[in-house]
Amino acid sequence: MKKYTSLDALLEALPLKDGMRLSFHHHLRNGDGIINPILTKIDALGYKDIHLSPSAIFPSYTSIETLLKKEKVASITTNYLNGPVANYLALHGSETCLKMQTHGGRARAIIEGENSIDIAFIAAPTVDKTGAASGLYGPSACGSLGYAMEDVAHAKLKIFVTDHFVDAIENPQIHHQHIDYLLILDSIGDARGIVSGTTTITRDPIGVSIARRAAQLIEDLDIIKPGFSFQSGAGGVSLRVTDYIKAYMQRNAIKAKFFSGGITKYHVEMLEMGLVEKLYDVQCFDLEAIKSLKRNATHHAISAHDYANPNNPRRIIKDLDVVILGATEIDLDFNVNVTTDSFNTIIGGSGGHSDTASDAFVSIIVTPLLKARTSVIKTRVNTITTLGKHVDCLVTERGIAINPRRKDLIAQLKNSRLDIVSIDTLMQRATAYTGHPKETTHKGKKIGVVEDRDGTIIDTLHAKE
Amino acid sequence: MSRSYLFIPGDVPRMLQNLDVFDADAVIIDFEDSVADHNKDEARQLTAAFLKRYTFHRPKLYIRINSTDDLAHCKKDLASIKDLPIAGIVFPKMNVERLKILESLWAKPIDILGILETPDVFFEVLSLAKNPHVKGFLLGAEDLTKALNIDRSQDGKELLFARSQMIFAAASTNIEAIDTPFTDVLNEAGLIEDIKQATALGCTAKASIHPNHVAFINNAFTPSQEAIKASKRIIAKSEQTQSMRFSLDGKMIDKPVIERARKLLKRAKDYGVL
Repeated sequence: MKKYTSLDALLEALPLKDGMRLSFHHHLRNGDGIINPILTKIDALGYKDIHLSPSAIFPSYTSIETLLKKEKVASITTNYLNGPVANYLALHGSETCLKMQTHGGRARAIIEGENSIDIAFIAAPTVDKTGAASGLYGPSACGSLGYAMEDVAHAKLKIFVTDHFVDAIENPQIHHQHIDYLLILDSIGDARGIVSGTTTITRDPIGVSIARRAAQLIEDLDIIKPGFSFQSGAGGVSLRVTDYIKAYMQRNAIKAKFFSGGITKYHVEMLEMGLVEKLYDVQCFDLEAIKSLKRNATHHAISAHDYANPNNPRRIIKDLDVVILGATEIDLDFNVNVTTDSFNTIIGGSGGHSDTASDAFVSIIVTPLLKARTSVIKTRVNTITTLGKHVDCLVTERGIAINPRRKDLIAQLKNSRLDIVSIDTLMQRATAYTGHPKETTHKGKKIGVVEDRDGTIIDTLHAKE
Repeated sequence: MSRSYLFIPGDVPRMLQNLDVFDADAVIIDFEDSVADHNKDEARQLTAAFLKRYTFHRPKLYIRINSTDDLAHCKKDLASIKDLPIAGIVFPKMNVERLKILESLWAKPIDILGILETPDVFFEVLSLAKNPHVKGFLLGAEDLTKALNIDRSQDGKELLFARSQMIFAAASTNIEAIDTPFTDVLNEAGLIEDIKQATALGCTAKASIHPNHVAFINNAFTPSQEAIKASKRIIAKSEQTQSMRFSLDGKMIDKPVIERARKLLKRAKDYGVL
């Protein structure tokens, strides 16, 4: 491991070239402090045709927009993006520019050489003298480094960038044999942007109403049994569902086998109350989750490969009983869009949406039926993020629809007191209020593709008009 | 019979639009305290337009009009609701005198849930309960405690007389006795305790000012499965023995107990838990 304290010196030592593929992880989220300085220097050095593979792109990653404007980016492959880069691509992207993958799909593509990374820049909150790293310690602690693990293992060159260099790390998340270079900077991130601290259970009455119905649905499906597994993410409604499930588990003395995905203080609380055996944490959403990784031996940081790589037969989500997910749009075939709005603005991406929906025994979409005076149910979603064949239930404040493919679930719910109707009926309930807005059609040029976790292209992205 | 009565402001489109998604058995669209003076016309127009366009089988709909003390607004309220598909009105500061004024103002009689929120009314409740248009009482603890110059406490002991007086009068003519809303919106433990007091004393329902309270109220006023099971056994034994007086599990069962069991099973059926 070669050690540097100057970014200029490091870049001088690296075999940079036109057409190289660079990767970054997004665990420092909007507080990331390495992507911008590195890409700004690479820009200044004159390299072009750069392929970028960050696991996600947040609004603060403005250097990517600068490179795009200078036409130095050959392609971007990522799992989630919003902010200025997303807006720029939606207006000016080229046909080959953007590939949206899933978290599991990214791990698969890196491991299988489909995304062959030349240099992985790994923001590492703590690195020790042996070159081992951890996300648990240091001023830029972010917890799990799950989305960086495949980059570290498979990139041709691996570089740790840290602001906390120590003698030794107990139980490192990444071991020293992987690393080629170490860059020590004054700071790799802004703690305020790393953990948002905004993961809270919704109190919005509509959200509460939806969550109550979703929890009842899970109860009626008889999923909450000893040893069950669950994933809910960090959305306010999802967390409210988790809270209802927690109460049910307490009332009935039920202990779950595992919770997976992004972990919050609410999941930690349930672990420490003895309501769940293990947390499989690919990403910490708040400070309590980071602290828990240090103190709880049954809270495991896992890689994206172990979490969701579809070609990993031991992936965690394969054993997932139920996952709660959101939707920007859903259509009559249950296809879900969390990638674009109806104006083609890129507002997110799959992350683990398609991965978990595909693998979980039951995938449940929770969303208000009426959003900003329009129906969340469309005849056809603007962009398919998750194929309808993987989506089982839609829970709204005005009723629940079950995918007709899931005859088993429909049969199980035949005596349920929940208001279960067809998705067409739900759409009619929405349009009774909203009328039938004219749905947009793709007229802008193609700017990219949505790739499902197995590498299949399931939709195209179009420019804003 | 309704378990929960949810107040929503009449001038907020989002709340009106969603009035049927909070699982309240009844919704009270408010023209009074939650609507500022300069928005009262808007509340009347918005509510009228909404209810003329959309039909609701559930929840039952009521409108809280302004008190006859505010005669101009009260008259406008009555004029604006006369053709609306509502179950009745909620009448603030009801007492015998104000009820007479109201009856002199309306074009045609309408069912009334009267809010008991002034000290004097608790000495008139029996007379009010006998009025054929009065279908229930709703305790208004905020205004009442303000008039008494006392604070509301967690255990609600200051409301014991008012609650009891309301419940006894309502029971005498078999009309609704609706408990006051719990106003500490985020205090779920306090809400549960408050509901327990209402159910223990004999309230038939409870009002709320926040949609998130409705589920707690519905749950508390719905017969439990244990109670349903016990009632079923009482009715079964009564039918089996053809008797109105018998022993079950060492307890004497007689006519009032059997009738109470029948009522409980009817409520359970109405609320869909039977």
